[in-house]
This record gives sequence, C-alpha cells and structure tokens, in this order.
Amino acid sequence: MWQSLPELGTGIVYAILIAAAYTFAVALAAGRGRPRLLQAARLGAYSTSGLVLFAVLLLSYAFVSHDFRIRYVAHYSDRRMSTAYLLTSLWGGQDGSLLWWSLLLSGYVTACVAWLKGRYRELQPYVIATLMVIVGFFAMLMLFAANPFETSIAGARPDGEGLNPLLQNYWMIIHPPCLYMGFVGCSVPFAFCVSALVTRRLDNEWVVAVRKWMLFAFLFLSIGNILGMMWAYEELGWGGFWAWDPVENAACLPWFTASAYVHSTMIQERRPMLRVWNVFLICLTFFLTIFGTFLTRAGIITSVHAFAQSSIGTYFVYFMGVILGTSLGLMVWRLPELKSKGQIEAVASREAMFVANNWALLGGMTFILVSTMYPKISELWGESATVGPPHFNRWMGPIGLIIFALMGMAPLFGWRKTSGTSIKKAFRAPLLAMAVMIVLHAVFGASLGYPPLVPRDAFYPGFVGLVIQKVGSTLPAITIALSAFNVAVIVQEFVRGVNARRAAASKRGEDESVLIALLRLVEKNRRRYGGYIVHLGIVSMFVGFTGTAWNIDRETAMMPGDHYHIGQYDLTYLGSRMCPGNPKCSPEEQSDIEKRMLFADVDVVRAGKHLGRVNPAKFFYQSQPDGPTTEVSMMRSLREDLYTVVGQIDPQSKRATFQFHVNPLVSWIWVGLLILMTGTITSLFPELSFGEVGAWSYVRAGAGVAAGTAFAVWIAMAPSMAYAHERPVKAHVGPQLAGISEATLARRLPSSGFGMAGFAGLALGSVVSLARRRRDNANNSRD
Amino acid sequence: MSVARWAAPLFTLIVAIIAGTFYGVQLVVLTLAAAALLLVISLLWSSVQALAGESELTFEEAFSLGTRTAEEEQKRAVLRALKDLEYERSVGKISEDDYHEYAARYRAEAKRLIQVLDENLAEGRKQVELELARRLVKVASASTENGVSAEKKSSPSASEALGDAAKSPEKAEETGAPATRECSECQAKNELDARFCKACGKPLVSPAEDNP
Repeated sequence: MWQSLPELGTGIVYAILIAAAYTFAVALAAGRGRPRLLQAARLGAYSTSGLVLFAVLLLSYAFVSHDFRIRYVAHYSDRRMSTAYLLTSLWGGQDGSLLWWSLLLSGYVTACVAWLKGRYRELQPYVIATLMVIVGFFAMLMLFAANPFETSIAGARPDGEGLNPLLQNYWMIIHPPCLYMGFVGCSVPFAFCVSALVTRRLDNEWVVAVRKWMLFAFLFLSIGNILGMMWAYEELGWGGFWAWDPVENAACLPWFTASAYVHSTMIQERRPMLRVWNVFLICLTFFLTIFGTFLTRAGIITSVHAFAQSSIGTYFVYFMGVILGTSLGLMVWRLPELKSKGQIEAVASREAMFVANNWALLGGMTFILVSTMYPKISELWGESATVGPPHFNRWMGPIGLIIFALMGMAPLFGWRKTSGTSIKKAFRAPLLAMAVMIVLHAVFGASLGYPPLVPRDAFYPGFVGLVIQKVGSTLPAITIALSAFNVAVIVQEFVRGVNARRAAASKRGEDESVLIALLRLVEKNRRRYGGYIVHLGIVSMFVGFTGTAWNIDRETAMMPGDHYHIGQYDLTYLGSRMCPGNPKCSPEEQSDIEKRMLFADVDVVRAGKHLGRVNPAKFFYQSQPDGPTTEVSMMRSLREDLYTVVGQIDPQSKRATFQFHVNPLVSWIWVGLLILMTGTITSLFPELSFGEVGAWSYVRAGAGVAAGTAFAVWIAMAPSMAYAHERPVKAHVGPQLAGISEATLARRLPSSGFGMAGFAGLALGSVVSLARRRRDNANNSRD
Repeated sequence: MSVARWAAPLFTLIVAIIAGTFYGVQLVVLTLAAAALLLVISLLWSSVQALAGESELTFEEAFSLGTRTAEEEQKRAVLRALKDLEYERSVGKISEDDYHEYAARYRAEAKRLIQVLDENLAEGRKQVELELARRLVKVASASTENGVSAEKKSSPSASEALGDAAKSPEKAEETGAPATRECSECQAKNELDARFCKACGKPLVSPAEDNP
C-alpha cells in the first residue's frame, strides 16, 4: 500500500484551489488590458480541470487498492466488491459526490474554454475567472468540510463497510447525477452573465453565447426531475410520483427559471429590452442550483433525501451570500446600461405573451420556494407549521394551468404586433379542437373511466375555499381541453409553416412534397420548431399529471385464493413464497445470497383477459434484517398502470395485506420526457455558418450533438452502474410490456441505450447530409 | 507540439492496456493518473510561459483580438427581426400594412448600421490598401531586378480595383436613382445595392448597365 496516498490526495485538493486561484488572477489580469495573458488563463483553466481529474483517479486508485485508511473508502466499499463497483462507488456519499460535482464542473470548464477559443474575446477572461471561483469554492468545501481523502482516526480497518443495501437500487442513484449535470450546467450561463456585466458588453453578444449552454442545462434539469419522479414512483411504493418533498422541490426550482429564461432570451435577441430581467433570471437560476444543493446537504429541512447533517451548510450559506452580493451589486452598478431601449408595442404580441408566461413561471417557482421554506420561516415567529402535499396540489394545479394556457396561446401571436384578423384566424382551429374535446370528454369521459368532473374536499373554509374546491373539481376537464388546444396549436403551426414553404416553392416553379417541406422547415427554424416539440412533450406530461385525478386506491387483506375487484381488474391472490428456498422461485432468485425475498403472487385478469402475474414483495437484506424494503410490482400500459404493494404477510396462514392502485395515464409523463428530449436536442443542433455548408459539416454536427448528449448522459449515470444489481423479475409482464425484467432494462439503459442514441444521431446526421449533398448536386447540375 | 497532441494520449493508452493485461487494474489507474499529472504539469508550464510572454502569439489569437463591435451585434438583431417578419408574413401572422411598416423601419435601421460598420472599417481598409500598395511596389521592384517587367503594369490596378469595389455602393446612391428597383423577372422590389433578386434569386442588372 502506498504510504502517503491520503496526504497526496489532500495535497492535490490544495493544488486545485491554488491552480483555480492562479487562473482567476491571470484571467482578471487578461481582462484588465493585458490580452496576451488570456492564453495563460486558458491553459490555467485546463490544468485546474486536469488536477480535478487527477484527484478523481487517485481516489479510484485508493478504492481499487482497498486503502481502508481513507475513511471514505472504508465507508463505501469492501473487499468483496468487483472492480467496476469499486470504481463507481466513488460517488456514493457526500464527500465523494462533491468531488464528482467538481469533475462535472471541470468537464464544463474544459468544454467551455475550448469552445471559447477565438470567440468572445472580451468576455472570455471574466468567464474563466467566474468559473474558477466556483471551482475554488468546491475545492474549499472539500478541504474544510468534506475531504474525500480524510483518514480515519482509528487507522486502517481490515475490511470496509460496503455499500448500504438500501442504496442499492437503480433509480435511487440514477436521477441525482442527471440533476447534477443540469445544476452544474447553470454555472456557464452565470459566468457569461457576470462577464457581460463586468465588461459592459450588455448587448446580445452574451445572450447568444449563453443560449445553447442554458438549453443543455435545461435538458438535464428536465431529465433529472422526471427520472426523480420515476424513482419515487417505482421505489417508494406509495403509488404516486411527486411527494412535494423539500429536496424534490429544490430540484425543480431552477427548472422554472431556466424555462423562463429560454423564452425571454428570444425577446432580447430581437429587441433591446428585458435585459435586467434576463440577467436576473440567469443569476437566480444559478443561485437556486446552489440553494438546492444546500437544502440537500445541510439538512435544515427534514426530508427523505437529506444527507447527514454536517458543517457543510455554513459554507453554502457564505457562498450564497457571495453570489447574491455579487450579482445584485453588478446589476445595480450596470443598471443605467441595462435599461431597456425598446418597449412592447402591443399587448397582442408574442413579447407580451412571453412576459406573461415568464411571470407565471416565476410565480410558480416563488410559490414552491416559499411553501418549501415556510416551516423554517414560521419558526421566526415561534410557530412550527408543516406544509403538506395537499397544500401544494391545491395551488399548483391552477398555477400550472395558467402556464399551460399561456404556453398554448403564445405561438399564435406574431412578434411585435398581431392584427385582429390574424388572431381570429389563428385561434379558430385550436378553439374548435378544444370545444370538440370538451364535448367528447363530457359525453364519453365517464364511461371510459375519465369523468370530466371529480369531487374534491373543501380545503379551506369560506369563499376562497369554495372557489378552490370548485376549480379543483373541474381541473381534469380544463386540463384535457387545454391539452387539445395546445396540440391543435402545435399542429397548426407546423401546417402553416409547411404550407408557406410549399407555396414559396411552387412560386419558384419547384415542387416540394409535404415531408420534404416539413423536414426543411424544421431544419431552417430548428429553434422554433424544436421548441414546439418540447411543448408537445409538456402537453403529454400534463395529460399524465391529470391522470392522478382518476386514481383508484384500495387497501385490502386477502387469503390465498381470494379475489378482489379494482377498476377493470380482477385480482386473485395465489399465495406467498420465500426465496431462496421455495421450488417455485426462478434460478436467479434461488442463487441470491444478499437477501431473502418474500413474494406475494397475484394473478391479473382485465375485462376477462388474463394478463399475467404481479408479485409485490418484501426484501430482507442480510445486513439489515429488521428493516425489510418494500418492492412494488406493476403492470404498465399507456392507458393505466396497475400498481401493487404488499404490506404484511402472515407466515402461517399466508394472509396478506395489499395496497392496489390503478393509476391512469402515468406512462404519458415518461413519453413526454422522450418528446421533450427530442425537441431540446432539435433546438440544440448547431447552426451552421454559411461558410461551412457541406455534407461533412452536417455529419459532424449531427454526430457531435448526439455523441455529446449521449456521452453526457452516460457520464452522469456512471455511478448508477454500481448500484444496478440483478433483481428478480417482478411482474410476469403481460402483453403490455414484453418481458424485459427491470434489472436487465436498468443495466441496458446506460450502456447500449445511449450508445444506440449516439448511433441513431450519427445515422440521422448522415441521412441529412446525403439529402443535402443530393440537393447541392441537383442545384449544381441545374446551374 | 502537434505530434505530442495525438502521440501522448496514444502512448498512455498503450501503456495502460499493457499494464492492464499484465499487472491488473491498479496499475491502469496509476498510469492514467500519471498521464493526467504530466498533462497538468505541461499545461501549467505553457501557462507560465505565456504569462512570462515567452510564447508566440498565434495567428488565431491575433485574429481574435479584433472583437465584434456593438453595431455588429445590433445588425445581427435587426437582420433576425427581418427574418422573423418574412416568416410571419409567409404564415399569415402579420397584416400586410404592418409588415410593410416594420420592414421599412428595420431595413432603414439595418442600412444605417451597415453604413456605420463600413465607416468603422474605412480606417483599416485604408491601411490595408497602403500596405498592399507598398508590398506590390516591393514585389514589382524585385521582379524588375530579376528582369521580369511584364507583371509590373498589372500590379497597381489591383489596389485601384479594391478601391472601386469599396466605393461602388456610394456611387449608386449618388446617381439619384429610385430608392428601390424592380427585378426584370418577377417584378419584386429590391434594394439598390442588391446584386440578386430577393424573391426569385435571379441576378440583377445594375442601373449603370441598365441605362448606359
């Protein structure tokens, strides 16, 4: 064993801090009239990132060589673990996850500095300086509060503790790294914003520079949040996907401000207005990412997610103070330059709609923020209030619908000013679609199991309570109607665009088929139509959220052979079995040495058709025999999920208590995520300059985006592989989802899934480029 | 340096693979760590060199020193607004009257910005012309020394041509022709300085050639 490894590791963390400080100083000098120093600053930034990489590799070495002198290694690994598990358990706990965070950040720093080569010459020094301050902050955190290389006072142990079995599930670990990717990504826009404020270059330059970085962060914030919902849904076993837990809330706050920003930036790119607002949104988004991390780590509000309480919170408070002070100070200092030079010319304009939507998004964010913090705030006057999910659900429904309605309306307006006749024309089809949907819903909804009105309890006494109750009970009808409106708007936008293209083509005497026109339309206006695709994803999610209004939740106790009827399902309890040991268990279940699994087998028949078997279970891990974990078993379809949980099973009589849930439309949330990703990636696709037109540039761009995104997802998910372990097939899934066990799905997801995405991207790039080349050839031959 | 850029990672990879096959994963991690450390050292070394002013300024860096001006950014915004206008007109989101009003306004703004940018460039252009002329004279004198005098005549004309090209937009304005002119193919109205029709893409005949 290498004698001085822990000291070397700590030394490297010091070196990170020193290198960041050096780079910061050189970058500042480069910004203050010594442009030739910029190269030194750039190289300094690269070497700081290199040092972080070195620290990570050093810690990996400590893991693979079982250096149990290091507390972190002893705490999260043991000698039995395979190399792959060892390497990826680097990020399991607080100290290591800070190093992981720093690694992601230095990845962003490297990418950003490389991208900046030869661009944004004046902004560059301050961008690097700001990023270095953030790297420095994390280095300080590691040094003073959570050093991953710290040795145990008692000396090296013979063996480590290994991984907590409760942490050993896929979804638990898969979503935080994705969120990190989004959280850390917000640092780059913030760095540009600070830089623009310092250099007074407050025109569009920085806004244009930031655009794609912010979209990238937005993409990962969305993925992280939705994966978090999936985790809650599949692992927590209470039948829902969003519990309004403080940490969940903290994770979705930056999403709201980021989505507000990606809209308001479009205005600033066209008009010299909303500058203060955009600066404010970027600073707020970055602040909220740090605030969210603070909430998770400092443990000031009780939450299932919180790490153990530590002194780390104090440092976060200081850092948040620095961020607030710097951004507010800079904004006040530059207020005269930031003043808007334009104004909204008409209320009936897209600008006005965007501003309204921004306010609604910010309103939603503020509501969640205040409600989350309310227990802490109320302590100020000696009250200890708790804010539960019902409170959030009552209020966020209407707020979400306002955002949803505005989202549908905004595309119907043109920039600057829209004439009355064209508004009437634009609204005609969507309103018609909405009316048809309302009628259809009212007529057929109840018989299909989706009644438009659902009864709600009065939440508050008095008039306000009555209004909320009434609005609450009509929410499903309104959401479905607005979804129809939104979809109609998006379809209409595409149709209008395609028609305009075809009309222009026929004027030129060419003939463009609908498909070609559609492809070219999206290609020429990637951002606009990518945005509409994202909207479509959000519609799908809203449909999924509305499904909760029609949930059926039942609890029952059953003896083997008993039947139970829920929704359209007939369930038969067949009996319980303990694996390993029972002859009915599968070979994988028989060979499990980590735990004993108690399954309850339930046969599922829907409308007379046998669908298969679900087997909810209790797992008893060897290391924690007293705290069995609850394992959900599900049968999914686009229409509804049958969600089963077993409470207790009596070993003698085999009498079992069950919770059965029928959750309609939940799958549409996950479908929505896929659509949203497609849309965001469409928008992210690099715009090619005129000088670069050629087949290869398209291939390169397509492959670049696909590979970049796939790689980022893969990196973000890398830690999860440590926890993805083979689990028995829970549900003998019926025809709805062909029999892929969750565990194999989980394993396949990070490696091949995203590899596939990369190849698909490459293929797409090639197809586009070939089409392009053919067209170019055709043009050439015509000339 | 350029060889090291691909040779060093390749070498590291080979060493890591050999280490992995013969000595196990620990040595792979150590190899990679050592490579990372070497990379950091070399980067820091070049950084300090650059700091001390010992490294050469590359062409790219020198080029990037000339940054975009605010006008250029504004021009981009105005052009983007024009693009939006065209799009919105094509899908019928804006009335014809509004379209013409805004289009005229933004075109005027774009023209002003382009002129400002052109004026900003005038100084640089003059310098480039002087430099070019100086070099051409040098080349010419060198070639006469070598006894090749044929090229001499053509050389000054290059700088004249450059000057002409720069002046041509102003010339067009001075002639007092109408503010727009029609395309002979599709009768769309185009700016005076346009070389191709914005509607059909056919080359436009310049007014000077139109009425000689």
